[in-house]
Amino acid sequence: MNRRTAPRAVLLAAGELLAWWAALALLWLVLITTVDTLERIVGAGCAAVGAVLARAGRRAVTWR
Amino acid sequence: MNGWNLAAAVLLGAGGTAALWGVTTGPPARRVIAQNMTTSAVCPALLLLSQGYGRPAYVDLALLLALLGPVGTLVFARLLSGDLSDGRPGAWGLTWTAAGAGTVVVTALCVAVGPGRALVKLLVTGALLIGGNVIASRALAGGFRGVRGG
Repeated sequence: MNRRTAPRAVLLAAGELLAWWAALALLWLVLITTVDTLERIVGAGCAAVGAVLARAGRRAVTWR
Repeated sequence: MNGWNLAAAVLLGAGGTAALWGVTTGPPARRVIAQNMTTSAVCPALLLLSQGYGRPAYVDLALLLALLGPVGTLVFARLLSGDLSDGRPGAWGLTWTAAGAGTVVVTALCVAVGPGRALVKLLVTGALLIGGNVIASRALAGGFRGVRGG
C-alpha cells in the first residue's frame, strides 16, 4: 500500500470529487430552463465528468 | 418600448459606442482596455433586453459573454504582454464604474424577477461579469506578474 492508495488519501479524493460533483450538479439545475428526469440524469453525468476535470485542474495548479 | 428596453438601448448605445471608439483609436494599451470594457457594456444590456422582451434565452447569451469575455482579455494580456509592459494600462475608475453599473443592473433585475432559479442564474451571471471584469483589468494592469508565465 503506497501513499496514493492509503485509505485516507482515497477518502480525501472521493470527498473532493463528491464536493465538485454536488456543486456542478447544483449549477446545472440552476442554469437549465425546465427541470425534468432526463435533465437530472444528463446533469448528473456531466457533473461527474466535470468533477474529474475540476480535480485534475485543481491538482495541476497546486503542483506548481 | 418599456423601461428595460430603454435602459438597454442607453447602455448599448453609450457603452458600445465608447468601446468601439476606444478599440479603433489610440495605442494598444487603450484599445485592449476598451475591448475589455465591451463585455461590461454588452452583457448587462443583454440582461436588460431579456427582461424587456420577456425572453429568458437572452440570459444565456449574457452568461456566455460574461464567461468568455474576461477569458479573451486574459489571452490578449498574455499575447500583448511585450507591448503592454512599458506602460501598463490601468483604468481603475472605468473598471469600478463598469462593476457598479453591472451591480445596479443585476440588482434591479433580481428585484424584478423575484425568488427562484432565475434569480440564482442572474446572480451567477452577475458574479461572473463583475469578478471577471475586475480580474481581467488587474491582469491588464500587470497585477499578476508573479504568476509563472503570466
